[in-house]
Amino acid sequence: MLVADRHGHLVRLNDVARLILPDAVNGARLSEQVPAWLADAHQRVIATSPPGTAPKISHGAIGDRHFEAHSTLSEGDVAWWLVDATDRRLAERALSDARHRSEVLSEASSTLLSTLNVPRCMEVAASMAAEHLAEAAVLIAPPQGRRCSLTYACRGGHVVQTSRQVDVAGVPGLREALQGFPPVPARWINPADIPDWAIPDGFAGSVGSVIVAPLPGHGVPAGALILLRSSTEQAFTEGEEVFARLFAARAGAALSAARLYTEQATITATLMQDLLPPTLHTVHGVEYAGSYRTAKDHERVGGDFYDVHPGAGPSEETLVVLGDVAGKGLDAAVLTGKIRNTLHALLPLAEDHEHILNLLNSALLTSHHTRFVTLALASVRRRGGRAQLRLTSAGHMPPLIVRTDGTVEEVDTRGTLVGALPAVSARTVKTVLAPGETCLLYTDGITEARGGPLGDELFGEDRLQRALAECVGMPAEAVVERVQMLAAQWLGNGRHDDMAVMAITAPKAGALSIVNGYASGGPSGRGGAGSE
Amino acid sequence: MTHLPPSEFTLAVRHEPATLTVMIGGELDYGTSGDLLNEVSQQLTAGQPPPADVRLDFRELTYIDSSGLTALLMIHRRTSALGATLHLDNRPARLERMLHLTDVLDHLTAPPTRTGGWQPEEDDGLTEAGMT
Repeated sequence: MLVADRHGHLVRLNDVARLILPDAVNGARLSEQVPAWLADAHQRVIATSPPGTAPKISHGAIGDRHFEAHSTLSEGDVAWWLVDATDRRLAERALSDARHRSEVLSEASSTLLSTLNVPRCMEVAASMAAEHLAEAAVLIAPPQGRRCSLTYACRGGHVVQTSRQVDVAGVPGLREALQGFPPVPARWINPADIPDWAIPDGFAGSVGSVIVAPLPGHGVPAGALILLRSSTEQAFTEGEEVFARLFAARAGAALSAARLYTEQATITATLMQDLLPPTLHTVHGVEYAGSYRTAKDHERVGGDFYDVHPGAGPSEETLVVLGDVAGKGLDAAVLTGKIRNTLHALLPLAEDHEHILNLLNSALLTSHHTRFVTLALASVRRRGGRAQLRLTSAGHMPPLIVRTDGTVEEVDTRGTLVGALPAVSARTVKTVLAPGETCLLYTDGITEARGGPLGDELFGEDRLQRALAECVGMPAEAVVERVQMLAAQWLGNGRHDDMAVMAITAPKAGALSIVNGYASGGPSGRGGAGSE
Repeated sequence: MTHLPPSEFTLAVRHEPATLTVMIGGELDYGTSGDLLNEVSQQLTAGQPPPADVRLDFRELTYIDSSGLTALLMIHRRTSALGATLHLDNRPARLERMLHLTDVLDHLTAPPTRTGGWQPEEDDGLTEAGMT
């Protein structure tokens, strides 16, 4: 406690006050004895009229501690009660820092996790680090080959992203951080050791203190973050270092999520290049058309597939394949790729369907799983105006044939599914398509489309056959469109499996010419089906 | 348009001397076939000695797709490895039709061969287990 009079002179100090202000002298001017904030507060209290209306409490530092000064007026003198508020103030500051940091962390998380784009994620992480943690930040992605992707950010400046060859060993602790080792304490890093490439262009002055923090990812490091402060600023405290690691952990999680997503998207895109169904057209005088709708509309590949392998010449057979792999998604899609490649390699043996099915079966057999494929095979050759077909079903829906008079035949072929049993057997059926007749291959996604007026009825084979009966004389393309359209209408918005349809059509007379000198080779179109 | 809730997938296991019976109810598809395979595999290895007959009862089955059939094929591999005979009881029309179309009924229900389990390396001599 100390007392000062209305003229601004120090009247008295008690013993405790003397400990705080050891040099104070009684009777001297207050402004010469105590810090300016207290002298000013005293002036305000005595200058105010009426007395006692001035603020009673003032704050300020004396030496290295912080005090609250409470005033009481008595007979023109002012007694100042000094209360040491240093600890409370420290606690308040710590609390407000902690609040600020958790705000920053939650902002960081929500901003970072809202993007799955890797460069954008790095940009956000670097710019937030520069804004909240340091004056400048450099984010280093793990090296790809010899080059590193670098993201520079300065507080209040633009973010610059570049990719260049750098020596990561040049920054103390960086190589370790990129390998996911625990960070080197900031005080061990000599700011003078930081190479130029690790300092953003806009950074003013010399580097005063540095933090190198690893960005932990999902199992593998997602990169490292270098935080820089210039020598004119306060060095990083231990608390700030801990906070920087927390921030780095969140940035690392977001970054590696983005990276994983991007990698998967790239893999899927690469695979899909090969797995997408081919565009079909007329081959050696026979029309082919196909259409494929995956179970989920946002996926472009699935478990159904079809291919047309044209014969070397008009007298050679063209092999048509339509199949359905058990299972869903990428697993199934990858298996379809294997099956399509294997069948392509087996083309020279296509004159015996059962034989190539057995060869394919052995190629697919594995003790790990029993995932299988069902297939419909058709070998097609034009003879005169007609198309000769050899058809084989391997555990698949039998092909349907629309005759010129509107009847729809189910081809009497049956065989074992492929890829799960030690051997397969299959019965191949020969038939002939007259001009205007169509053979339809389809997967059970069509007949099992669930919908209709009540929403839970299957489209079914009868409905499909009735629809086909109206397709006499239509081009292959139109038949496929019609079947897909009817199935889609039946579905409405319902959930469905992969749906694939293929049509093989002998074009109507007129467009055809005599091939290879044969006027008409095989048996007549109607009733030409029979077992091999 | 009405949306019927999909019927719940259920498994009930009954042990009798030398016979393991599993009642399968609801939809056996991509989402549930793994459960069936795990359950049967566990039951097969849990009891000593292994059962001589494994009966899958499909009375309550409402739906099966190709993933469900994949599970049946895998169960058959496990049962024949243990020398047990697989039985598919009370087959609904849909399952019957699928087994007919894919031509695997005889393979699935054939008594196990002398050598027991199916080995990928031993294609020859095991083919009689499968085909008609």
